[in-house]
Amino acid sequence: MADERATVEAAREAFDRDFEKFNDLNLNGASLSDIEAMRREMGEIKVRHTGKKSALAESKKLIGKVAPEQRGEFGQFVQSVEKAIVERIDSAESALNQSLSKAKTEAERLDVTIPGRRPRTGHLHPITILRQKIEDIFVSMGYAIEDDREIETDHYNFDALNIPPGHPARESQDTFYTTDGFALRSQTSTVQIRAMERRGVPIRIIAPGKVFRRDTPDMTHVPMFHQIEGLCVDKGITMAHLKGTVTEWLKRMYGEDTVTRFRPSYFPFTEPSAEFDFSCFKCHGTGRVSGEQRAATSKEIDGGELLTAHGSQLTDRCRPCKGSGWIELGGSGMVHPNVLRACGVNPQEYSGFAFGFGLERMAALMFNIDDIRHMFENDVRFLEQFR
Amino acid sequence: MNISYNWLKDLINNELSPEKTAAALTRVGLAVEGIHAFGDDQVFDIDLTSNRPDCLSHLGVARELRVITGREFPAETQSRETEATDAVPFPAILAPDVVKIEDPDLCYRFTARIIRGVTIGPSPEWLVKRLEAVGERSINNVADITNYVMLELGQPMHAFDLDKLAENRIVVRRAKTGETITTLDEVDRKLDGSMLMICDAEKPVAVGGVMGGLDTSITDETTNVLLEVAYFDRSSIRQTSRDLGLTTEASYRFERGVDIEMLDQASNRAAEMIAELAGGELGEFIDVYPNRQTRPRVVCRDISAAVKRLTWLEVSIAESVRILEALGIRNEPQEDGSHVFTSPTWRHDIAIEEDLVEEVARHAGYENIADELPPAFGAGEYQEFEGRKKLLRQRLVDLGYDEAITYSFIDTKHDGIYETIPGLIDDRADEKFVTLRDSVIEGAVRMRPTLLPGLLDSVRYNLNWQRRDLKLFELGKVFAAHSDEIGLPTEREFFGLALTGGEVLNKHLEASRPLDFYDAKGAVELALEAVGFPAAEFRPAEVSHLRAGQTAGIYIDGGLIGYVGRLDEAISNGYKFRSPVFVAEIDLDDVLSRNRSNVTYRPLPKYPSIVRDVSFIVGREISFDMIREAVIDLEAELCRHVGFVDSFEGKGIEPGQRSITVRLEYRSDERTLLESEVAEVHERIVGSISSSLNITPRI
Ligand SMILES: [Zn+2]
Repeated sequence: MADERATVEAAREAFDRDFEKFNDLNLNGASLSDIEAMRREMGEIKVRHTGKKSALAESKKLIGKVAPEQRGEFGQFVQSVEKAIVERIDSAESALNQSLSKAKTEAERLDVTIPGRRPRTGHLHPITILRQKIEDIFVSMGYAIEDDREIETDHYNFDALNIPPGHPARESQDTFYTTDGFALRSQTSTVQIRAMERRGVPIRIIAPGKVFRRDTPDMTHVPMFHQIEGLCVDKGITMAHLKGTVTEWLKRMYGEDTVTRFRPSYFPFTEPSAEFDFSCFKCHGTGRVSGEQRAATSKEIDGGELLTAHGSQLTDRCRPCKGSGWIELGGSGMVHPNVLRACGVNPQEYSGFAFGFGLERMAALMFNIDDIRHMFENDVRFLEQFR
Repeated sequence: MNISYNWLKDLINNELSPEKTAAALTRVGLAVEGIHAFGDDQVFDIDLTSNRPDCLSHLGVARELRVITGREFPAETQSRETEATDAVPFPAILAPDVVKIEDPDLCYRFTARIIRGVTIGPSPEWLVKRLEAVGERSINNVADITNYVMLELGQPMHAFDLDKLAENRIVVRRAKTGETITTLDEVDRKLDGSMLMICDAEKPVAVGGVMGGLDTSITDETTNVLLEVAYFDRSSIRQTSRDLGLTTEASYRFERGVDIEMLDQASNRAAEMIAELAGGELGEFIDVYPNRQTRPRVVCRDISAAVKRLTWLEVSIAESVRILEALGIRNEPQEDGSHVFTSPTWRHDIAIEEDLVEEVARHAGYENIADELPPAFGAGEYQEFEGRKKLLRQRLVDLGYDEAITYSFIDTKHDGIYETIPGLIDDRADEKFVTLRDSVIEGAVRMRPTLLPGLLDSVRYNLNWQRRDLKLFELGKVFAAHSDEIGLPTEREFFGLALTGGEVLNKHLEASRPLDFYDAKGAVELALEAVGFPAAEFRPAEVSHLRAGQTAGIYIDGGLIGYVGRLDEAISNGYKFRSPVFVAEIDLDDVLSRNRSNVTYRPLPKYPSIVRDVSFIVGREISFDMIREAVIDLEAELCRHVGFVDSFEGKGIEPGQRSITVRLEYRSDERTLLESEVAEVHERIVGSISSSLNITPRI
């Protein structure tokens, strides 16, 4: 048996020699290629020392050759040697595999802060954004959206709106005329008339659209802008319905705490007439902006950098409402009986309210836009600020 | 309009503080925009609506305070409002010798007061202060007094040097051809026959209601004065003021309307002040009143009910009547309980019951009106095409396009450069385009027949700011003249886009590849797909503003709806575009009004298909569509689809040639096909189209 035992010992020693470099394996700082080389070598060692043609495999065949009474002891010896070898290989392999996977992970580590791969998305024009928002609110309140011609006859632009020839509003130099004597509509109220003619009464419509006035472009004027006009005609409609409707809409736009104010005014197509204001969305009607709000505002203005030079010039006065707490938005009133009559509606039977306002002005206030001409320059640096 | 708090207190016993007075006036519609101190006075800056010229005076504002405070005017104010002083009446028969109105349609009433022996000099300090408080400069005592009375009572007036009037008399008439006048501002003005002039026996001495003449004005040497207080036709004053480009405090008031019954009181008030402050003796008072106007009378069955019907407010008849009477509206109660209200002569905006309702409501307070929603009505609805336009916009935004809005009027220099989409221009119309009489933007008098010039201007604007990678789109109306009787121009909504530079990934600062024709075409396809037309056709086209060979006509159901292509080189150079610009434009109204095909489900194939690719080396005259159609025309059994794989030119391919690869899909509905039978069919198809198109398959 001594010979056989010597063979096994020799196999173990041979393994020990081959495996020596893997004793006390320290893979700290090893490169991915080093680890891969070691992992390959370990594979070779495994085949060489535990494979079918290994010395150990040969040793196992000797078990049958030793005397039967020694066979048990020898068998156990061979097994213990094999077990030790396999365990050492397994443990080294496992350590190498772990390191390998770790090294690979390290090598494939990404900079997740690099922008994602997707097309740059475009932007809706702020006027579209605002218009869609307002349309959604009024459709949910039972209004139909209407628009109509932009080039109109004097009848629709003036006469039917109780602005007869000779009326100051008509003779003012505000209106663009075509060489054929048609007017570019100077207000979306024209749609009131066309819609009433088409749909009859009762009627509830919202008419957004382009209007034109002969204003030379400057920071606060443009010769083309957008208005939204509202009209509700039915039996028993009062100014309370006008106030309620405008208030409900502005609450949905700017929050539940929004309040409105109606002031007597004058428009040819309404009687009584009123201008409407709403409590400022920024200062909530206080007219003052606290320090924190102000800091936020200056951040917005400078695109991330807090204003320093101008910071001291900023007062506590709220900007959109100029410190009054109120934002003047539009005109309104009860539809003038002459307007109803022009559409074939009996003013004794029906009454109605109408209101209108400018979208550019609203957008300028909401987004703090200082120069209204930006609306039609289509500067991408401007457009991409709106979502 | 500047209104002095102290001055108001002279007219009405107002115990409200300046702040409270301002708030109360604002509440009833006289918006006080600001209050500033002047000495011991407070001055209100009141923003008046155009229907309230009566409040262009302290008396007018005091009338509003009369309603607000519920106090009557003191006797002195009342006398100014109603009573004429006991001047010696001038014999009517002699009046035409002094004042003759030849055109009573433009001058309804004219009064002249003669004051003799005045001494022109500085005004007393109180008068100077009072004028300065409301922003007026002191000139001399007589001029200041006319100004003062205008600001107090609202009645503009003019003082002539009587001795400089030829024959010391006045003729009110339209200007004669060729007449001129040098007005007080020392400007020589050409007159025309529509303008009303105050003349002496020979020549115009004042532009009626607008400005006096220089030659007959008061000077330091003046001793005898003729004081004119008159009433003129409102629109005539407006027209003259516009034609002369001359707006004065007088014309501003006259064109809005003054109080025709106030003329004599105002004249007396001024004459008395002149006598007191400039000396002199009151002489004749001539009042010529050929054109009396009837005042509107409103029969009101139940003013309280009318107020409630329109405003919701509950205001009793008694309170309504109190408000109206305090405003100077005459009330005649009728036996049947109704009321007849008569508009005061200083109000030009009260003619119907609704006008009275507004007067009551604004004093009862709009703030007292409840917030109520109207009773439920029908369902809301968007415009017919809005839903699909919203999808279109969103698709383009997702694809990286920014939405532009450009002006509807463009320069005439674009005429004839851009080919309009067929169907817009009415060939029978004499004029193709819609043109504005004038514009506020130099040259921009053409109502655009195309969106492209506006979009290209926007591209240029962005390039100027170093934005080189651009994708813009716009939805908007275009215009063309129409030949029908009414002649209202054609308006159609178009969709346009413009792109240049490279494809940009989000937040990546460098473009990943240059944009080309196929990006523009892809965007058009996507836009059409979004509105329900996924199968538009693109056919090679020749369009004047697009580059030959990179232009396609866009068709739906065989109808041409627009163009896509690369902007013509010459136009591009005109804009100094250095990179190619691609544009597309479609008639969106046309597209949206077409029928969309319904989606019908096709059962999924039961057996797998086999695909075969084939490449051909072709010249530019052969298109993918030609190959596709050639295959389809064969109607080969088993061949189900022809698709595009790749088009390649360059290395290994002769110049002018390209290799185009298409994929043919074979499938049977009865069985799984064998490779061998597919090979046979495929070979036959390739052979057949190779010979029919005279092209060579690439092995
Ligand atoms: Zn505010």
